[in-house]
Order: sequence, then structure tokens, then C-alpha cells
Amino acid sequence: MALPSGLDQSAIPPDFEKPFPPLVRASTVPALSAIDRPHRSDRLHLAPEDAYGSLSPPRWSTGFDGRGNGAGADLRPSRIQRNDTSRSRSRRRKRFQKLLWVKQSYPDNYTDQATFLEKLQRNPRVRPYDFWPLVADSTVILQHVCSVIIFIVCFVGIFQERVGPVSVVGWGSFASFLGWLLWERWVTQETRGGTADDDARARIMRGGHAYKEFHPPRRQDSSGPGQPLLNTSTGTTPSTSNLASAASSTANLVPEHQPPPLLLPTSGGNNTNNGSGSLLVPAHSRSVSSLNSVASHASATTPTSTQTRPTPEGAGSPTAPPIARGNRTYARVGSIKSAMLIYFTLLGLSPILKSLTRSTSSDSIWSMSFWLLAINIFFFDYSGSRVGIGGGRGGHGHKKTMPVASLSTNAALMASTVLASRLPSTGQVFSLTLFSLEVFGLFPVFRQYARRRSWRYHVALTVLLVLGAGGGMGIILGDETGWQPWKRGLLGMVVGCLVSALAMGGCSWWLIGLQKYKNEIYGPWDPARPIIISRRQWDDE
Amino acid sequence: MAPTYNIAMVSDFFFPQPGGVESHIYQLSTKLRDRGHKVIIITHAYDGRTGVRYLTNGLKVYHVPFLVIYRSASFPTVFSFFPIFRNIILRERIDIVHGHASLSSLCHEAILHARTMGLRTVYTDHSLFGFADSGSIFANKLLKFSLSDVDHVICVSHTCKENTVLRASLDPLMVSVIPNAVVAENFMPLSYPIEPSSSLFGRHPPPARPLGPHDMITIVVISRLFYNKGTDLLTAAIPRILENHPNTRFIIAGDGPKAIDLEQMIEQNVLQDRVEMLGPVRHEQVRDVMVRGHIYLHPSLTEAFGTVIVEAASCGLYVVCTQVGGIPEVLPSHMTVFARPEEDDLVAAAGRAIAAMRANKVRTELFHEQVKSMYSWTNVAMRTERVYNGISGALGEADFYGYDAPAANGAGSLSATRGRSGVQSFALIDRLKRYYGCGIWAGKLFCICVIVDYLIFLVLELWFPREKIDICPDWPRKERKESTAPASG
Repeated sequence: MALPSGLDQSAIPPDFEKPFPPLVRASTVPALSAIDRPHRSDRLHLAPEDAYGSLSPPRWSTGFDGRGNGAGADLRPSRIQRNDTSRSRSRRRKRFQKLLWVKQSYPDNYTDQATFLEKLQRNPRVRPYDFWPLVADSTVILQHVCSVIIFIVCFVGIFQERVGPVSVVGWGSFASFLGWLLWERWVTQETRGGTADDDARARIMRGGHAYKEFHPPRRQDSSGPGQPLLNTSTGTTPSTSNLASAASSTANLVPEHQPPPLLLPTSGGNNTNNGSGSLLVPAHSRSVSSLNSVASHASATTPTSTQTRPTPEGAGSPTAPPIARGNRTYARVGSIKSAMLIYFTLLGLSPILKSLTRSTSSDSIWSMSFWLLAINIFFFDYSGSRVGIGGGRGGHGHKKTMPVASLSTNAALMASTVLASRLPSTGQVFSLTLFSLEVFGLFPVFRQYARRRSWRYHVALTVLLVLGAGGGMGIILGDETGWQPWKRGLLGMVVGCLVSALAMGGCSWWLIGLQKYKNEIYGPWDPARPIIISRRQWDDE
Repeated sequence: MAPTYNIAMVSDFFFPQPGGVESHIYQLSTKLRDRGHKVIIITHAYDGRTGVRYLTNGLKVYHVPFLVIYRSASFPTVFSFFPIFRNIILRERIDIVHGHASLSSLCHEAILHARTMGLRTVYTDHSLFGFADSGSIFANKLLKFSLSDVDHVICVSHTCKENTVLRASLDPLMVSVIPNAVVAENFMPLSYPIEPSSSLFGRHPPPARPLGPHDMITIVVISRLFYNKGTDLLTAAIPRILENHPNTRFIIAGDGPKAIDLEQMIEQNVLQDRVEMLGPVRHEQVRDVMVRGHIYLHPSLTEAFGTVIVEAASCGLYVVCTQVGGIPEVLPSHMTVFARPEEDDLVAAAGRAIAAMRANKVRTELFHEQVKSMYSWTNVAMRTERVYNGISGALGEADFYGYDAPAANGAGSLSATRGRSGVQSFALIDRLKRYYGCGIWAGKLFCICVIVDYLIFLVLELWFPREKIDICPDWPRKERKESTAPASG
């Protein structure tokens, strides 16, 4: 066939000994693009023209840059003009090509102003923030900070014996129970709606590999008759280990006592064939201990859903609301059971906790709990990817979740433990620990769910939390003013609202203001991001 | 008669460790010796390699004892290398210090000390770095430090040049692009006549047996199986390519953490008879693996030059590669099929390549001669020599940097820092000026480093006077070969 065009050029013999015609300085300086000009003003950041501009060592500071500034108003015309001069030269010379295999008629350090850095992109992926969405998103942080404050307020109240420990834990448990009921209703609704349309369900299970089940790898069904068998055998191993590690990484007691019901809709909705299998296994394992129940449960259900993958009709049209409902009742019973188990475990542990740090001075405890709560706030997973199978931390979607998400919960529980050990009586210790489990373990799950469910719930919850935190702070702080507690509480609420509004607005405004310092440089030297459609299960690192 | 130089190549990476930088240094040094220069190599001590060694062709290698931290990169102690470095430089009467590889701290230190001692320095960059992650930021700052006061920089591709210019804030004119090369004799196609009977027909070997529509087409992949080599893309693409094209098979050589993914893919799709995994192969065996195939697939995600695709083309393989980094510059379009780094596009490109091979549209038997004329180490050595001439003043400033009359107006102030005839001034205050521009804090820190380095230099001059250091006798120099001679080996 016709030989491509490159051949004739490559046949030129290498003659590098002959001197090159002298370069023209103007032709070797790359053209400054007019778009980049406004950024020259901030000297703190690297801009492409700074590569040879005045930021570089002072050798060009007067020579080139001064001239560039003189022609700064009309850079484009001057560039065109230069191109004209170089065009007249190009009759003698071949055009410069950005290729290595061509024997160029230019010296090696020639810099072609037309092609040099032509593929440079600055801030290509920057999405400018809008003020109000940013404020709305920051409510998640506000909610968490407020719930931490409420916890501290309750501790102070118990510690100063202002509030009865039983009332704290009673109201807390009552609220948790109400939240649980509400959440149960939502889950049931979503499961029922999910049988109708896949989208809603995909939204529920956005976190883990449940999502992947709805987009099975493309080549899955077409690779031969031996496929399903192999698939089950290889597919089971990684998912089990993932979930086991996920569960063990979140090995604190209670946050996992609610996820089982979260897991169940997936298995119930998906595997019509293996529903009985998934019913049997957890029943066996849960009776062992409530701590391991989640791990074994998760690893028991997900492999079965992996097995259903090769049969697309099983996953595509789940017609099993009865089984799902049966699973729900079962899950409810399970939740209550593990709640009771944790309740009694805590009751038994409280005397030990009470004397845990008796030999430590209170100052160390205060500073330690401060740092632990700070860790909790800073490392908390605000992205909301926790709702889903395996908590979303099991390795999939590893780009989105923080690797230290479980650190946050652990830190908070440790803070509550050391704080509780300061309390004098067993009942107080028990109440505070249980309350902390509710605040740090269950409440975030509920908050995320409420936010996903409806924006109105989210706002209402935020307002309630801000009012509660502000009022509580007012009550415990303004003790020496001699005011009535309700007056102080009211004042605290007002101040809390003001402070949170100011903080949210100010921080959002600040973040938007900081955007102008953003200077990302992308080019062909960056590692490409591969686009892989049929990403496999084991592909986590 | 062009001047000859005493050159010291400095890099952490050298034989016995295999790799691209290592063979680059070796080949370049050998060819420079052939051109009458004296070349020594300074690297750190490897297991079982300490002291001074001679390689073939009288190439002298100094293995300096040094603490190795990670993947044979030495620990960055800014000054501790200076005494022994000065000793070697004085013993060997070195004029030019040429450092290689941006991750080699030995190279950066050598450039700093060489400038303090008043030597010319060249630096060759072999890799690409981004600007986003923390490791890159650190490496870029380090690079900026050592390249603030370098005489010339060599990059292996135009993309690499752009990257280096941005990373180290260099003047583009002091960055040359000199590609890698291959030893074409080591990468011959299978059917290539060993001794061309006559030069007339030697350039046009007979066409290989045409591929029938049902002949097996073998696709070869040789790469370390890492993420940035695109093994994920490969894992996703192989089943689809094999499914779309019967009578194709894969041979995969190389090892790495992603090998397990490939094996799982093979098991899951039951492709054991169509995908052969060879495991790690030595560099000498690469050619033997390559000639078993018809198409070379290179799914890398980042690559400064991509020597391996040149080697594959030299073996007469049609190359399918991702269009990343410097790869699009390397081979002409009739040897390659480019793909975007996406699974779909890679599958499509492989399909195009297979179709072209089946239609016998690709004259792969001509590739070897073409690659041989494009890339040779002799050529690389000649171009590097021009850089040496330029920085040492043998080549005029106008010839090397190309100033014209209007820029000469500003050149009055330029030459203050640049010194005579286009070379950078060695005066300490000028060097400090260059370092000071590196950044608000970094500039001052770098200045302190340079001053301390200078003080150490003075102390060493007093403590170990130059006169007390023995001059080592040179290996007999070669007569300079003329460039018209054909490239030999």
C-alpha cells in the first residue's frame, strides 16, 4: 500500500556536524497567550510565562520581560508579525515539527513559539462555587459540630449534677427510638418504591458495590459456558474480605448495630433465589455475639448477591416484596436484639469504666477529650457515603471516602469513655456512655439519611441542633450572671444562631474568595486518567 | 578539531541495576568515548560493587559509598558527598559534570558542588512529573534548587522539555531535546538477514510472508505491571479484544503488583490458552519475546519517551499505544496506532491494528531500517557534544542560544549574570542571585545551602590542597571518529 508520509523524511542522513543557521531570539521565545495575562499580577504562583519570565532567576528580568511588558497591550499582533518573519524563513527551512523521529533542521534547544506549551491547560476542571449551595453544604458540618456541643453540654450537665443522668439517657433513647421508627418507615418506603424503579434504589445504595450490581461488567454474560461457575468462586473471595475488613475497621460497638437493616434491602431486593440462605446465616452468627454480627452478616449476604450477578433477570426485575418485608421484620427484631445486648453490656461495664482513669488528673482528661473530639470533628466523613453496604469504606469507591473515617467515630467514643470515667456514680457513667453511642454512632447515620431523604428534614434538623447547642451552651456558661436558666438559654439560642449564620456565610465567602489563588497546571505530562468501563471487583488499592 | 572534554556522568542509577536511565548513561558514555572524550561515571555503591570498576571500552565507574533509601535512590544529605566528589573531580581533571535522573539526589548534589567548584554542568531529565500531588511538589522544589544554577538541561522529548521548563522555571533556550535511542542491532526482526548480502538489497528486505485471514496474530505486551503503566486498561481491554477478534493471542511479559489482576482476569474469562504470561524477562531477552508477535500494545498512562515502543518497532512490530506524554513524538504514524487512554478506544485501536495487519497494509519488514536511521546513540552523542560545546564556550553564544540584534540591547544586562559567551557566571554573588529567585522561603534556604557549600569548599581547599591529590592516568583515548562513518553498534 501507499507508504505513509514519514518515510522520506526519515531517510535524510543525520548531519549534525554542520553548523545551524543562527537563531533569532524573537522566534525562539514562546508566545504569551493573551488569556494568561491577567494572572501575571499575582507573583506568588507559578504561571507558564513565569517559566522564562521574571520569577525565574534574574537573568531575564530586564531583557525579555521588559520588552514583553512594552508590547503587552497588543501581544497577538506582535506574535503574528513574528510569524511573518519566520514564514519568510520557512522557505529556506522546513517547518519545525514537535516530533523526535524527524531530523529537524533546527538546533536541539530551539523553542518553537507556536507549539511550545500549546497543550498547557490551567484550571481546566475548576468548578466555581456558588454562595448559597456552599452554605447549604456547610450545614452538614454545622450539624456535626452542634451535636458534639450538645454532647459536651450534657456531660457538663451531668458532671455538675444539674441534670439527672436518667433524664438525659431517657430523652436520648426516646429520640433515638423515634428516629429509628422514622428511619424504618423511610427504608420501607424506599424499598417498596425501589421495586418499581431502579433509580431510587441505586440512590440508596450509592456507596458500595451494590451500585455495581446494577451495572454489571459488560463482558460478563458473554464469555462462555463455564463462566458462572468461575464467577462465583472468584467473586466471593474479594467481597468477603472487603466486607470483613470494613466491619473490623469499624469495630466500635454500636454504629454497626443499625446497618444490618440497611444491608437487608439489597439482599432482599436482589436475590430471590438465595433469600432463604441469607436468612439462615445471620441467625446463626448473630447469636454468637452482636459485635461480629455485622461482619458475618455482611459477608454472608453480599456473596449471595454476587452470585446473582450472572443471572441478569434476577437482579433486573426483583419481584420479591414479601420476602423483603419478611426480611424487614427480621431486621427489626435483630436491631432490637442487638440494642438490648449493647444496653446490658454497657450496664455491666460501667463500674469498670468508672474507675478507669482514677489515677489520672482531671486536666489531662479535659485536654485529651478536647483533642479527641477535635479529631472527631476534623476526620468525620461529611461526604455522606457511609450509608450503604459495608459503610462504603470497604475499599470500593476508595477515591471518595476518607481512609480515616472510622478514626472519627473511634476518637469520639474514646473521648466519651474518658469523660465518663470522671463521673462519680455508675448510673452517670452508664448514661453518658449510652448517650455518646447514640450521638456519635446512630445519629450521624440518621442525619445522613434525613439529608438524602428530604431537604426540609435536613434544614429542620439543623435548626433544632443549632438551637439546642446554643441554648445548652447558654445554660451551662452563663451561670454567674444570675439570670434565670431559660433566659440564658434563650440568649444562647440567639447567639448560637448568629454565630452559626456568620460562620457559615463567612467561611463560604472566604472559600469563594480563595478560589482566585487556584492555579492548577495540566498538560500532556500528567498521568492520564484511564477510563475503564468494566472495572472489576478486585480492582481496589 | 573540536575540543574534547573530561566528563563525569553522575547518577544514582547505574549497572548492575537494570533500567532505562542506566542503559542511557552507559550507551551515551560509550559513544562519547568513541568520539574522543574521557568519560567517568559516578554512582553509589551497590551490593557487591564498590570502589572503582572498569567497564568495556575503558569506562571507569566510581561506586561511592552512600546510604540507599528507596529503590536505589540515595539519601539526600546535601553536603556529605562533597569531599569525595571533589577528590574524584580533581583526580580525573573533570571539566563537565553531567547528572541524570530527577529522583537521584546524588545527581543534584553533584551539580551543586560542581558549580561551587567552577565546573560546567549539564542535567538530563528522563521523567515527567505532575504538579498536583505532594511528592511531585517536593521533587519539583528539589529540581528547582539544583537547576537554578545549571548550565544546560537535556530532555528526552518535547513534552519532557515543557514539563521541565515549567517545573524548574528555566529559560526554554537552555533546554535541549535529545531523545533516547536504541541499539538497533539488538532489536532485529526475526526474518532479518543477519549479514545483508549487498547494501543495495539490504535496505529492502523481502516482504514477510503475508498473513492469511485465519492466521494467528500475536499481540505482545512488555511492561512492568504497575498502575502508571496502564495495566488496568490492559486488564479491561484484553477480554474484549480477544472476543472481537478470533485467532488472536496475547503474550505478556513483566512483573509487578498488578500481575494478580491480569491473572484473575485470565481465570475469570477462561483465557488461559490465549493469554500467555511470561513473568519478568531480562532486557537481553526482550527481543526474543518481541519477535514472537506481530503487534506491540503499550497501554501506559505516562511516559517521557517510551524506549520500548522504539524497540518494538525496531523488531518489526506494529505498535498500538496510548497517546500520553512524549509517546506521540516518538514514532511516525505509519508505525503506530494511537488510542486515547480509554478502554473503548484502546479496544478500537487494537481492532484497527489487527485489521491492518490482516489486510497486509503495514510493511513491518521495513520498520527496522527506518528505526535504525531515526535513532542511534552515535547521533545522541553528537548532539550531546554540541551541548558541551555550547556551555563551555567552544560554540559561540549566538550560535548556541541564538540572539539577534534587538535582544542584544537587553543583553548588556544579561551578560552580567551570564558571563562571557553564553555561559553562566561562576561568581558567588551571581549564583546567589539565581538561587534567591526560587521562592520566598526556599530562595533564602537555598542561598544558605549555597553559602555553606562554598565554605565547605574553602575548608576542603585548605585541608586537602589540590597539589596533594594525585592525578590519575587516563585510559588511552580513542581517535575521534568522523561523523560520516556509519553507525556501528
